[in-house]
Amino acid sequence: MVARRRKRPACELDDRIPSPPGYAAIPIKFSEKHQASHYLYVKAHGVRQGTKSTWPQKRTLFVLNVPPYCTEESLSRLLSSCGLVQSVELQEKPDLAESPKESRSKFFHPKPVPGFQVAYVVFQKPNGVSAALALKGPLLVSTESHPVKSGIHKWISDYADSIPDPEALRMEVDTFMEAYDQKIAEEEAKAKEEEGVPDEEGWVKVTRRGRRPVLPRTEAASLRVLERERRKRARKELLNFYAWQHRESKMEHLAQLRKKFEEDKQRIELLRAQRKFRPY
Amino acid sequence: MGPAPAGEQLCGAIGEPEVMEPALEGTGKERKKASSRKRTLAEPPAKGLLQPVKLSRAELYKEPTNEELNHLRETELLFHSSLLRLQVEELLKEVRLSEKKKDRIDAFLREVNQRVVRVPSVPETELTDQAWLPAGVRVPLHQVPYAVKGYFRFLPPAQVTVVGSYLLGTCIRPDINVDVALTMPREILRDKDGLNQRYFRKRALYLSHLAHHLAQDPLFGSVCFSYTNGCHLKPSLLLRPRGKDERLVTVRLHPCPPPDFFRPCRLLPTKNNVRSAWYRGQSPAGDGSPEPPTPHYNTWVLQDTALESHLQLLSTMLGSAQGLKDGMALLKVWLRQRELDKGQGGFTGFLVSMLVVFLVSTHKIHTTMSGYQVLRSVLQFLATTDLTVNGISLCLSSDPSLPALADFHQAFSVVFLDSSGHLNLCADVTASTYHQVQYEARLSMTLLDSRADDGFQLLLMTPKPMIRAFDHVLHLHPLSCLQAVCHRLKLWPELQDNGGDYISAALGPLTTLLEQGLGTRLKLLAHSRPPVPEWGINQDPPKHKDSGSLTLGLLLRPEGLTSVLELGPEADQPEAAKFRQFWGFRSELRRFQDGAIREAVVWEAASMSQKRLIPHQVVTHLLALHTDIPETCVHYVGGPLDALIQGLKETSSTGEEALAVAVCCYDDLSRLLWGLEGLPLTVSAVQGAHPVLRYTEVFPPTPVRPASSFYEPLQERSSLLPRLDKPCPAYVEPMTVVCHLEGSGQWPQDAEAVQRVRAAFQLRLAELLTQQHGLQCRATATHTDVLKDGFVFRIRVAYQREPQILKEVQSPEGMISLRDTPASLRLERDTRQLPLLTSALHGLQQQHPAFSGVARLAKRWVRAQLLGEDFTDESLDLVAAALFLHPEPFTPPSSPQVGFLRFLYLVSTFDWKNNPLIVNLNNELTVEEQVEIRSGFLAARAQLPVMVIVTPQDRKHSVWTQDGPSAQILQQLVVLAAEALPMLEKQLMDPRGPGDIRTVFRPPLDIYDVLIRLSPRHIPRHRQAVDSPAASFCRGLLSQPGPSSLMPVLGYDPPQLYLMQLREAFGDLALFFYDQHGGEVIGVLWKPTSFQPQPFKASSTKGRMVMSRGGELVMVPNVEAILEDFAVLGEGLVQTVEARSERWTV
Repeated sequence: MVARRRKRPACELDDRIPSPPGYAAIPIKFSEKHQASHYLYVKAHGVRQGTKSTWPQKRTLFVLNVPPYCTEESLSRLLSSCGLVQSVELQEKPDLAESPKESRSKFFHPKPVPGFQVAYVVFQKPNGVSAALALKGPLLVSTESHPVKSGIHKWISDYADSIPDPEALRMEVDTFMEAYDQKIAEEEAKAKEEEGVPDEEGWVKVTRRGRRPVLPRTEAASLRVLERERRKRARKELLNFYAWQHRESKMEHLAQLRKKFEEDKQRIELLRAQRKFRPY
Repeated sequence: MGPAPAGEQLCGAIGEPEVMEPALEGTGKERKKASSRKRTLAEPPAKGLLQPVKLSRAELYKEPTNEELNHLRETELLFHSSLLRLQVEELLKEVRLSEKKKDRIDAFLREVNQRVVRVPSVPETELTDQAWLPAGVRVPLHQVPYAVKGYFRFLPPAQVTVVGSYLLGTCIRPDINVDVALTMPREILRDKDGLNQRYFRKRALYLSHLAHHLAQDPLFGSVCFSYTNGCHLKPSLLLRPRGKDERLVTVRLHPCPPPDFFRPCRLLPTKNNVRSAWYRGQSPAGDGSPEPPTPHYNTWVLQDTALESHLQLLSTMLGSAQGLKDGMALLKVWLRQRELDKGQGGFTGFLVSMLVVFLVSTHKIHTTMSGYQVLRSVLQFLATTDLTVNGISLCLSSDPSLPALADFHQAFSVVFLDSSGHLNLCADVTASTYHQVQYEARLSMTLLDSRADDGFQLLLMTPKPMIRAFDHVLHLHPLSCLQAVCHRLKLWPELQDNGGDYISAALGPLTTLLEQGLGTRLKLLAHSRPPVPEWGINQDPPKHKDSGSLTLGLLLRPEGLTSVLELGPEADQPEAAKFRQFWGFRSELRRFQDGAIREAVVWEAASMSQKRLIPHQVVTHLLALHTDIPETCVHYVGGPLDALIQGLKETSSTGEEALAVAVCCYDDLSRLLWGLEGLPLTVSAVQGAHPVLRYTEVFPPTPVRPASSFYEPLQERSSLLPRLDKPCPAYVEPMTVVCHLEGSGQWPQDAEAVQRVRAAFQLRLAELLTQQHGLQCRATATHTDVLKDGFVFRIRVAYQREPQILKEVQSPEGMISLRDTPASLRLERDTRQLPLLTSALHGLQQQHPAFSGVARLAKRWVRAQLLGEDFTDESLDLVAAALFLHPEPFTPPSSPQVGFLRFLYLVSTFDWKNNPLIVNLNNELTVEEQVEIRSGFLAARAQLPVMVIVTPQDRKHSVWTQDGPSAQILQQLVVLAAEALPMLEKQLMDPRGPGDIRTVFRPPLDIYDVLIRLSPRHIPRHRQAVDSPAASFCRGLLSQPGPSSLMPVLGYDPPQLYLMQLREAFGDLALFFYDQHGGEVIGVLWKPTSFQPQPFKASSTKGRMVMSRGGELVMVPNVEAILEDFAVLGEGLVQTVEARSERWTV
C-alpha cells in the first residue's frame, strides 16, 4: 500500500498513465469528492480482416472497464465533448455484433445487475474517436447538474420500477400471442399443403398429423423401444443352466468379493491415514 | 498359591507374557508384513480422496488360492463384512498395547515389587494413635467416627501379585492401569477386623506408610492416592514412573487380606458389620429391632478377598482364545464411548469381562468366536435380560448354605454373583446406570441388525457424551444439598452402609422420585457418576461435596411432551391420597369433560417451547417438595439456546406457533385457489415452496400491518413504496407457493410462448382472487403476490411440461433429444423438487416436533458466522433432517439444544470428500439402493459438488448444493463447528450456569481484509441480530390492523441489494460475507489468486488497472478505487469502509 502511494505521484509527474499497447487510459471517478479513480481503456474499434462486425468502422470507440455506476446516458454525456455521440451500448463482454435493435420485453427479461462492463460508443463523425483517445480526464460520472443515483436512492427507484403495470403487461402478452398464433397457423397451413405431396425426388414426408400417426422422433421414444426389446430377450434367456454358466457366475461372485475387498482396503488405508481409528 | 517368596511370585506373574512372547512376536511380524504389502498395493490416495478401484481382468478372475478362500469364508462367517473385519482389526491395533511398551511396563513392575517388599516395618500402636505417621503423609480416609478399637503395625506384604486386565492382555490404551494386589500379612489383622471399618482403617494406614516410603524414591514421577472404583473406604496408591514414561502406565496398589481370612458367612448381604452404636453413637431406634444390614460395606470387604480368584477364573477361561480377548477390548471401547465405565459405580471393563465369562460358561459364547461376535452376543444378552429382576450367578455349586439370589435382590438393584456365590459384582452399579447400559445395548443391537453400512463407526468410534446424548440435562450444585436429602428421607441405614457417602446414599431415592414424577415424559434418566479423584499423599482426602456436581440426563419422549396435564386417579379411589401426597399442593381436584372428577396436576405452558420445559417444572417442584433441595441448587439446562430463535420481543415461544399460523393461512389460500372459478384451466395442485411452509424459517413471519404515513403510496398500482426520508421499512418476504394447472393440448410448445401464457394466467389469477375473495393482489410476468390476513404469498403458476420444452434439442437428423440446460434445471428445481422437499420436511415436523427448532438454530448459527449465503436454505434443512432420520447412535433429538449440538458434531466430523450425506426422506431408499448410491458417488466424485446431499428424489445431482459452498467455505464451516462444539458443551455442562450462550454465535471478524459497516437505519431486520440492539428504528408497522390495504413493500432489503451489486461488480476479486439476520457488518476477503499481477487481457480488465512492473505492463486490482466504489454503491447504507491494509499487498 505504502509502496503504491509512492509510485502514484511518480506516474502523475511524467503525466502519462500507463496503458496497454493500443489503448489510451482515461481516469474516471464517481464524483468530485472521490480521490482514487478507475481507468477506462479506450481504443478505436477495429477488427481483423475477414471478421465481420456490425459496428461502423472508424466511428466506433471501444471502451473497457466501465464502472458499474456508469450508465449509457452518463457515458454519452461524458464523451459528448469529443463530438456528437450517435449511440452508446454497454455489454458484459466484448461482442462484435450489435445486440438486436428491438428492445427485449422489460417484463420478461428484467435488467441484470451491472458489474464492470465494456462499451461501444458510436460517434457521428470519425474525429470523435480521435478526440476521445486524447481525452485527459478525469471524467466525473455524477455531477451536480446530472446526478447519478446510487445506494438507497437507486434501490428505492428500482423498487418502484419493478412494480409492473398489469395493463401494459396484458397488452404485451396479447400482441405476442397474436403474432405467435398467426405464425403457428401459417406453419400448419403450410404443413397441410405439403401433406402427401411428394418432393422433387418423389419422397413423401410422413407426419404425426396424417391418418395413421407414427411414433414421435424423440430419443426417449427410441430408448423405450430398445428397452422393451432387451426385456423380451432377457425373459427368454436361461441362467445357470449350462455348467459353464454356473462356473462363470461363481467366478463372477468371487471377483465381486475381491473387488469389494480391495475397495475396503483402500477405505481403511485412507481412514488410517486420517487417524480415524483413534477411538478417543 | 503357597507362601512363596514375594519377589518370585511377582516375577512368575508377570513372567507369563514373557513366555508367550515368541508367539506374539510372530504374529506381530506377520502383521507388519501384511501392512507393508498393503501399502505397496494401495498407494496412498491422492489428497485423501477415495478413487474408484481398478483391477485388471487377470487379477479379478485368477484362480483363488486356498488361503484366500479360507479368509473369505472366515470373513463371511465370523464378521458382518470384510470392511467390518478390517475396521475391527485396525481399531484393535490402535488400542492394544505394543510389545515394546509391555516390556517397559514389566521392567517398571519389577522395580516396584523390589521397593515394596523392602519398606521397613513399624512397631504396633493403637489404631487411634497415629502419631507414628511421618509428617509428609495424611491418612487417605475420612475417619468418622475417629474412635475405633484395634492395633496396627506395618509389615511388608506377604505377597505381591499383578491382577486385572494387564496380565490378561485385555487392557486398552490410553490410560493403562496395572492393578497390583498386596497381601497384608496375617499378623496385622485380627479376627474381628471386618467390623466397624477396622479393616479399612488398617488398610488406609498400611497404604500411608507405604506411600511415605515410596514417595522418597526417585523411581516414581508421581505418588498419589485415589479410590478403588470410587469407593471412598478403599483408597489405593497410584505410582507413575518418572521421566518420559510418566504417561505410559499407572500402577495401582491395592492392599488385601490374606486368602480366606474373613469368613464369607459373616459378610452376607443380610448381615450388619457396622454397628449403629459405634457409627451413630446410639442404638437403632426402638430397642430390640435388629441392626440394619450393610450389604455394600460387606461387598467392599469381600471384593478385596476375591481379587486373585477372579484373575484365575478369567485367565483359565480366556486361555488362548484371542477372539474373547478382542471382544473384551471392543466392549471396553464401546463402554468408554458411552462414558459408562468411568466413575463410582460405573459398568467397568472388569464387569464386562466377567459377563463374557458368564456367557462362555452358559455356552452362549464359544471360545472360537471372533471379537465382533463376542461383542454382538454380549450386547444381545444385555439388551434382552434384566439383571434388576433376574440376577445371574457364576457359581455352579448348589450348596444350600449359599445365600439365595432373592437376598441379593433385596439389598442391591443389580445382581451378578461371582463364582463364590457370595460377592455381587454389580453391587455399586445403580439401577439407572444399569438401565442406561441396557438401553445403549438395545440401541446398538437395532443398529447392528439394520445392516447399516458403517455400524462400526457409529458403534465404536462415535463418542456419546452426556450433553450430546440427552435432551435435557440438570446439574445439582453444590452437592452439599444432597445432605439435606438424606436428612429429609431419613436415609440413616444407607449412610451407615456407605460410610457417610451421602451422594451414593441419596442417588437411588432421588432417581426413583424423578422417574416416577416424569412418568410418560421420560424415556430414560441417567446420572453422571462422580469422577474418581486423585490427591497428593500430603493432603487430606477430598470431601464428598468436592466431587464437582451431580448431573442428571433426561431423554424425553416427544409424544409425552405435548400434554400439560398429569392425570391422577378418581377422587374417591384410595390411590388419590397417594397422588396428592406425591404432588403436594400442585394436585387439585378437576372435573373433566367425560364427567369424571379426578385428581390432576396442570402445568403452565402455552407454547411448544414451554411445554418442552415442563420437566423443569416437575423436577424443581418434586425436589423442593420431597427432598428439600432448593431451586437455587437445581441448574436445569434445557432451553438456553431457545433465546436465539425467539421472535422479536417474544420470550415465551420459539416460533412454532407463529409458523403454524402462517401455514394455516397458506392452507386457507390453497383452498381458495382450488375453488377458484373462471380460470381457463383448473388448478391441479397447490404446493408450498418456502421455508416457512416447512417450519424452518429462522424468524417466522408476522402479519404485516403497514402504517400508511411511513410509506409513499402508489395508488394506481395499489402498492406502497419505501420513502427516502424514513428508515427502511420492515422486511416482508413473500412465501412462494407453486400452483400447477391441469395439462391441456392448448399450451403452446415454444418456451417463449409458454412464458407469455403463464403471465396471462398470473394476471387472470390476480383478477379472480380480487373479484371473488377481495384479496389484494399484484401480478407480474412470473408470479402473483397475494396479501391474505397480513401474510404475503407469491403464487407461481407452473406448467408441468415446461422443463421438458426447455430441454428439447433437435439434432440435424430431426431426432428430438432432451438435454439439461441451466434454465430447465432451475425451473425443475423450483417447481418440482422444492415443493416435494417442502412437503417431505413438513411431514417430518409432524413426526418430530423438535425438527423446526433444530433446523432453525442450525441455520441461525451458520448465518451468524456470515456463511449463510453460501449454503442454500434447503441444504441446511436437509442436514438437520438427517439428524432426525439417521440419529444413530443416538435417538432422534427431542429438544433443539441437543439437536444443535449434534448438528455441530455432524458438520465438524463428516467426511464430505468421500461420503454423500444420504437423507432418506420417508424411508424411500432401500439398503441396496443406498449401497448403489455410494458406489455411484465414488465413480462420479469429480463431477459432484463439494458437499453432496442425496435424497430419494435427488439421487445423483445434489441440486441444493450445486452452486455452493466452495471447498474453502465448507472447510471454514467445519473449522468453526469444531471450535464451537467443545466451547458450547463446556458452557452447558458448567454447573454454575451456561454464562453467555451467544458466544458461539458471534463470528470472528479478524479474518477479513475489509469490513464494511452498515447503518442500522437501513437494515430492516436489525432487531434480529444475535446481540439484539437496545434500540432500533421504527419500521412502519402498526400493532392494530390499520385502514391501509395496499400491498406492503415486498422483499426490499437494502443490504441484500447492496451485496448483489458488490458480488456482480467485484465477484472475481473478492468474497463477501454477511449475516442476513440483522448483521451490521459485511466482511470482505480478497481472493489471493486475483491479486497476482496478470498480463493485460481485454476480457479481464474488470476493476483492474495497468501498471508497469519491472518494465513490463501488468494488471493489478485498483484497490483504492474499489474501496471507494464500496462506499459509492452503498450510498446511504454504508457507514464506513475499514480496510485492514496490513493484510494484503499488491
